This record gives sequence, C-alpha cells and structure tokens, in this order.
Amino acid sequence: MGVTCVSQMPVAEGKSVQQTVELLTRKLEVLGAEKQGTFCVDCETYHTAASTLGSQGQTGKLMYVMHNSEYPLSCFALFENGPCLIADTNFDVLMVKLKGFFQSAKASKIETRGTRYQYCDFLVKVGTVTMGPSARGISVEVEYGPCVVASDCWSLLLEFLQSFLGSHTPGAPAVFGNRHDVVYGPADTMVQYMELFNKIRKQQQVPVAGIR
Amino acid sequence: MPVIQTESEYKPPVNGSYFAHVNSADGGCLLEKYSEKRHDFECALLANLFASEGQPGKPAEFSSCPLNSDEDVNKWLHFYEMKAPLVCLPVFVSRDPVTTGGLFVPLFLPRAGVLSPLADAASMSGVRAVRISIESACEKQVQEVGLDGTETYLQPLSMSQNLARLAQRIDFSQGSGSEEEEAAGAEGDAQDWPGAGSSADQDDEEGLVKFQPSLWPWDSVRNNLRSALTEMCVLYDVLSIVRDKKFMTLDPVSQDALPPKQNPQTLQLMSKKKSLAGAAQILLKGAERLTKSVTENQENKLQRDFNSELLRLRQHWKLRKVGDKILGDLSYRSAGSLFPHHGTFEVIKNTDLDLDKKIPEDYCPLDVQIPSDLEGSAYIKVSIQKQSPDIGDLGTVNLFKRSLPKSKPGSPHWQTKLEAAQNVLLCKEIFAQLSREAVQIKSQIPHIVVKNQIISQPFPNLQLSISLCHSSNDKKSQKFATEKQSPEDHLYVLEHNLHLLIREFHKQTLSSIMMPHPASAPFGHKRMRLSGPQAFDKNEINSLQSSEGLLEKIIKQAKHIFLRSRTAATIDSLASRIEDPQIQAHWSNINDVYESSVKVLITSQGYEQICKSIQLQLNIGVEQIRVVHRDGRVITLSYQEQELQDFLLSQMSQHQVHAVQQLAKVMGWQVLSFSNHVGLGPIESIGNASAITVASPNGDYAISVRNGPESGSKIMVQFPRNQCKDLPKSDVLQDTKWSHLRGPFKEVHWNKMEGRNFVYKMELLMSALSPCLL
Repeated sequence: MGVTCVSQMPVAEGKSVQQTVELLTRKLEVLGAEKQGTFCVDCETYHTAASTLGSQGQTGKLMYVMHNSEYPLSCFALFENGPCLIADTNFDVLMVKLKGFFQSAKASKIETRGTRYQYCDFLVKVGTVTMGPSARGISVEVEYGPCVVASDCWSLLLEFLQSFLGSHTPGAPAVFGNRHDVVYGPADTMVQYMELFNKIRKQQQVPVAGIR
Repeated sequence: MPVIQTESEYKPPVNGSYFAHVNSADGGCLLEKYSEKRHDFECALLANLFASEGQPGKPAEFSSCPLNSDEDVNKWLHFYEMKAPLVCLPVFVSRDPVTTGGLFVPLFLPRAGVLSPLADAASMSGVRAVRISIESACEKQVQEVGLDGTETYLQPLSMSQNLARLAQRIDFSQGSGSEEEEAAGAEGDAQDWPGAGSSADQDDEEGLVKFQPSLWPWDSVRNNLRSALTEMCVLYDVLSIVRDKKFMTLDPVSQDALPPKQNPQTLQLMSKKKSLAGAAQILLKGAERLTKSVTENQENKLQRDFNSELLRLRQHWKLRKVGDKILGDLSYRSAGSLFPHHGTFEVIKNTDLDLDKKIPEDYCPLDVQIPSDLEGSAYIKVSIQKQSPDIGDLGTVNLFKRSLPKSKPGSPHWQTKLEAAQNVLLCKEIFAQLSREAVQIKSQIPHIVVKNQIISQPFPNLQLSISLCHSSNDKKSQKFATEKQSPEDHLYVLEHNLHLLIREFHKQTLSSIMMPHPASAPFGHKRMRLSGPQAFDKNEINSLQSSEGLLEKIIKQAKHIFLRSRTAATIDSLASRIEDPQIQAHWSNINDVYESSVKVLITSQGYEQICKSIQLQLNIGVEQIRVVHRDGRVITLSYQEQELQDFLLSQMSQHQVHAVQQLAKVMGWQVLSFSNHVGLGPIESIGNASAITVASPNGDYAISVRNGPESGSKIMVQFPRNQCKDLPKSDVLQDTKWSHLRGPFKEVHWNKMEGRNFVYKMELLMSALSPCLL
C-alpha cells in the first residue's frame, strides 16, 4: 500500500466521458504503462434511522459503505469526518441485519470502473464514475508503491501526474494535509474516493446534449 | 461403666449389710447382698468407678444406683491404693431418705494415686481438689452390723483352720495317674480357688453342695491312707507267697519269638528299603506334580506369549476388536490422509505349533494378515531421461525389485510386514495424487499418465517420469526382477521429497487451524481471516494461498536438480578442457529445494593473488541462472547449457586481459589503453574481444594484447624506431631524438614463448623488454 492520490479529471470540451477516458488511457500506453486488468470502487450511503434520533431532532449521520477491488476481501465503512472501519466482507451481511438502525438511501449507489495500469512503481487507475445508468465523471487514482509516507513522495507524485494529466493536475489531497509522517493506509484512499463521489454527486449531471 | 481395676476392696458404709466388691478379675464391681435383714432396700448398690480425666466439676454421667448413706459417711474414710496411672472419679449418688437427694461427687487428686471420697453431706456439688480417701477393708470381715452401727467381725480363720479348709478341697481320689476320673465336685473347687475368701460362704449361699461336710477334716485322708495300706499289705502277702512257691507261682507270659539275631544287615536293608521306598514315593509324587505344572506353564506361556505379543503390537499400531476378530489400521487416515483405502489388517493367532517338535527360532504366536493389494514392497521411481522414448514404450511396468529396507534387528516380523504394507499404501496415495493433478491441472505441455507412469516435460528434450513400482512377493514377478533396469537414473532425493510433501499435505488437512477468534469469523488460515480487516491487496493474498499441487512442486524440484547438475557438468567440462586460465567452482552447502548457488573463480596458476578480478556468483534457480559479477553486473542466463558455456568462455578471455592489467601494475608498466569490449578486429561469435596496451617503464617498448574467446590471443610489441631496420628515411625528422620514439609493431609468436600459462609468458616478455637496472 503506497501513497495514493485520487483526483477527478474534468471532461474535455466537446468530448464525452468515454472519449476523455480513451484519451487518457492512450496517453498512458504511450508513456509505457502496461494494462493489468480492471478495477472497481463502489459506495453506498446509509442514513441513521429516524428512530434512533434524539428528541432534539438532530440530523442523522451519513455512513458510507465502500468496496475496492484492490482489496477484494475487505469492506470499508466511514462517516463524513469520522472514523473509517476496515472489515471483511461479512460486514455487508451485518448491514442487512442493522436495517433498523441504518437505512439505505436509495439511488445513491455510486461507483467507478475502469482499467488498471502499471508503470514501474506507479499504479494508475482511470475509471468512469457512474451513478445508476449515467456516467457522471472520471476518476484518476495514482499510487506510488514504494513510499508510505505522504509528505515524502508528494512532489514525485505531482510530477508524475503532471506528465499525463497536464493542466488538470490536482492539488494535494486533504488527507495529506495535517498529518505528516503518518503512514498512509487504505482508509485514506477510501476517504479520498468518498470526497470525490460526494463532489460528483453535487455536480450537475454532465450535459451530454448541446456539445456537438 | 466399670473401667478400673483395683486390687483392693472397697465398701461403702451403708446402713445395711451391703458391701460391694471390686472384683479384680474382671474389673467390675460386684455387689452382693449379704444381709437379708434389709429387704426393703431393693436397689443394689453400685459404686461406679470410671476413668475420667480428673477434671473437677460435674461428672459426665452417672448411673449409679442410689446409695443409702447418711451422716456416717463423715466418719468413714476408706483409703485404697490405686495404680498410679489410674484416674478415676468415683461418683456417689446418694439419696438421703431425709433429704431429696444429693450428689456426691468425690474428686480426684492426682497425687500418688490416692483417692479419697469427699464426704460432705451438705454440699451437693463437688469442690475442687478435695482430698478423697478410701480405706481398704480391714483384715476382719464384717459378720454383722448391729442396729446401733456396731460391727461384729468375723474372726479370721486360724492357720490350722485355714489349712483344714483348703485341705477339704483337695480331692485325693483324683491323682496324676488317673486323669479320666473327674470328680464333679472337686472341679468346682479347683476353679474356685482364685476367688478365695468368699467361696466358702458363697457355697453356703448358693446351696450347691459339692461333698458331705465331714465331722473330722482328716477323715478322708485317713481313709485313703488306710486303703493304700491295705493294698500294700495285700501286695506284700502276695509277694511272700510267691516267694515260697508253694501255693502260687509266677509264670511268665509267653511272647512272640524274637527274630533271629544273626541277620542284622537284612533287617537294616529291609528297613532302609522301606524308608527309601517311602521317600521315593514322595519324590515321585512331587515330580509328577511338577511335570504337570510345567506342561501347564508351557501352554500358558504360549497363551501369554500371544497376549504379550499383542501388547507389543498395540504399542505400535491401532487395534480394535470387531466381534471376535482383532482388526488393525495401517493407513495414514489418523495422520490426516484422505486416501479412500481402508488399510485394515487382521491379527490372527498362530496356532499351528507342534509342541512336540522344537519351537523354531523365529516363532511368533501372532500373525498379521494384510490386504492383498498391499503385499510386497513398493517405491516411487523418479527419473529424468534425456531423450523421449517411443510412444510404444510408455506404460511398461518397470519393476525393479529393490531390496527390502532392512528391518531393525530385534523387531518382530509382523512389524516389518506392516511397515512394508504401509509404505505400499503411501506410495499408492502419492501416485494417485500425482496422477489426479496431472490430469486436472492445465499446463503448457500436458502430462501423460499411462498405467503406473506419469511423464512430463520440464525442459525441451528432457523427460521426467514418475512411476509407481510395486513388486509383490509372488513367483510370477520374480522373473521380471532380472530385467535390467539401471537404477542410476532414479533420483532418491525426489522420491524422498515426495514422501515429505505428502506428509505435509496430511498435516495441513489435519489441524493447525486455530479456532477463529471471534467465533463468528469464517474458518480458514489465520492470516486469511485478517486479510479483510487489514485490507490486503491481491499480491499479499496470493502469497498467503499456496496453490501449487504435488506434481507442480515435484516438477519444479526436478527442474532445479537437473539445472544444477547440468551447471556443474558444464563447469567441470570447461575446467578439464581449458588449462589456462583455471576455473574453480565453490558450491554452497546450504541450498533450497528450488535454489542453489555456486561461486566461480577464474584464475591463472601462480598468479592467484594478482589476477582475481573475475569472480562470479551463480544462483541456480528453477529455470534460470542468475549471475552476479564482482563488478556488480547481474546477468540472467536461461537453462540452455550453451549460454552458460559461452558466458564462461568470454569471462575467461576477459580474465587474460585483466591479468595483463594487474601484472603491469606490479611490473611497473603503464597501462595506455584498456577495453573490455573492443569494437575493432574480427567479430567474435561468443562474447567480445578485449584489448590492452601497456608501455614499459622507460617508454621504449609497448605491448598490445588482444584476446578473444574464439580468436585467441594476439600480442604485438612496439619497438623504438631506432631498432627497426626497414624504416624509410624521411627528411621531416631531422633530429636523432625522434628515433627514440616507438615505431612499428611486431607480432610475438606466442605459442613459441616459454612459460606454462599466459600470464607467465607475459611476465617474461615484460621483463625481457625492461632494461636491466644493474
């Protein structure tokens, strides 16, 4: 598990999501990365049930249950600013049992699927973010395997990102921000994905029509 | 209650003619009523004397009859001696007709055994440490107690009276000679003797009259004496008459004639014979008994031998009783095997023993019967052959009768039999597992499974055959034993490894799966359970799961063994073929099943310290050889034999040039140029040529060496201009100093040079070209 940066690639002008993804992947292949299968990251949202809320009517918390094909036997559960739990896949079954306390928000399942490229020590995943049937955006994840401390390798990551993202290079993710010299873990990656999904959810649907 | 023994008499003062005795014979108290004057006292008096701890205070219990006593107790003191260790607490319960009742608790003073009752009519409960005195009876017996309390004593018997009384008891008719006569009367007397002092009166009391009271005590004595006298007189008369022989004679009684005294030896002989016969009789009886017991013992021993053999068998093998049969289990099921063979053997008693004949040395009362398909011996033959045989040769049952493994001396034959059967079972299991994997697992080149052979191809032109060789003991297969099968290509190591692998597989199926914590977690390897919560990625998960089967593992091992042996052969062939430079191989002792390493040194003889720049570490893996050079280069060679050979040859040629470089340093020559891979000259087919140019210390001469693996070495020497004859004169060079420069090259006939190897020759050349400094 190395330091990972998850960012969003804005859809190119005049192109569809798929075409932008095409562009990116071609760039990567030219760079010399080799394709190594596919990946998938998905996320479901749960509300805390109304019955458990106090009389003050405090708003329920949102819980996100995510899976990552990179860690096939694990399940991640996280709150917005709260802790992230890494469990095994029995957690999904548990959530079914906890129906009384956590209600799934319908139509909020969001996922990203795409191809996985290996370029020496870098692992690049370019995926299409879909919510239901519609594609909403593009996610780009870059992992630098050898390093586990974020502050040490951020500059290297940035340079690499610049090489194929060009001007769309993101800034340092929020998870890096405060904690220096803390070992980076899979939970941080999932937090980044969660933030990305939330951002995409808030965005308007990508206007397909009108750009011809 | 009575627990004491006293030797004295005690009598309480009673208003009445009561007295109590302490009977020393049985330690009890006897109460006898003496006087009949007081019939109104119906109770018997019993003075209880019981042993207690002497603690003052209330008595534990008392069960005495009421004792009538009154104030006269004060006047009466009786002492009696008790034995020292005796502790007693006499308790008197008195019931005074005047008062309601009282309890006299005499207390005991542990003081020289003197006990005295406390006579205190007023106080009811005992006072501590009060002196109790009891006086024993006086010598005179009380005959009568008067109404005013005076006692009339019986006059004691005088000596003569006593003697008379005692003499009356003697029964003179009961002498020592006539034991048969027992006067009933005298008997009672004789036994009454210990109870002296009271029997005379007692007899009166009892009313049993033993004999007539006589007027004169000596009457009976007189009568007896008289009768004796009478008889004596009679005897005297008779004897005197007989002496006269007139009226009476004495005739001897006729007796049997004694045997003649002149054969004492016969008598002795007869008596000896009789006694010997008697002794012999006893001995014969004893011998008969002994033989019977010995035969019984022997039979028992056989029976016991079976049991003890069975015990020994149980120590090694699992046995169970089914009905009346004893079955055993020789399979590996309890060790984790999943092979479906039952593996049961039967234990039978060996009863075909003829007791008359001598028991054979290796006789065993126990025999085991193994299943018929496990008979004989088996082993797995693993061999690597160079060329693939014809298809028709496949499936031939190659029975190579390997000698049975030597059983430990002293182990019974059933042990060897069972162990051999178990080995056969294990070999069958190994082969079944291998063939199952050969069929199921896909590989690039499919494995062939024919009958008892599995053939796979680890490398091209190489064939690995694993076969199950099972030779049974019957006659038919003995013929095949003579078939020539070379055992050299059988790899014992791989067979041993197969056994190890299957045992490891057994262990995995058995246990070593710890119960998961928490109990709700899924079963499986502990690290696999953690892979979820610890977010293992695919690489880590793959490393946890070992997905290789037995066949794959053994093929990998076979490949490695083959590669290693071929590498060794290559190095050895090179070493024997090429003398200069020398190649040395140091094999590492510690190897893996999949990896071995060897260090290869290329040196010149005599110059090992100077020219040691070529040192290679070869790591031989399963399919590749990785070479690490001393200068840090890492080269990966394939399994091809030629690659390694070419590489080593190129290294050898490089070594020569390196050697020149080192030598130049030592000799003081200057290296002008050096190149490992020279781009000039003819192209080598193996590797590259290397070249070096060195100049002499004073600069006059220069040596240029070009060495290639194929083209060999070429040495040229550059001479100063003034030594070359055939140089064209030129107008440009006016000064003579220019003639000191080095000029044209001349080749050296290297094979005509003296010296046993290249570096030696080079040293000679260098020293020849260096001027002598003398």
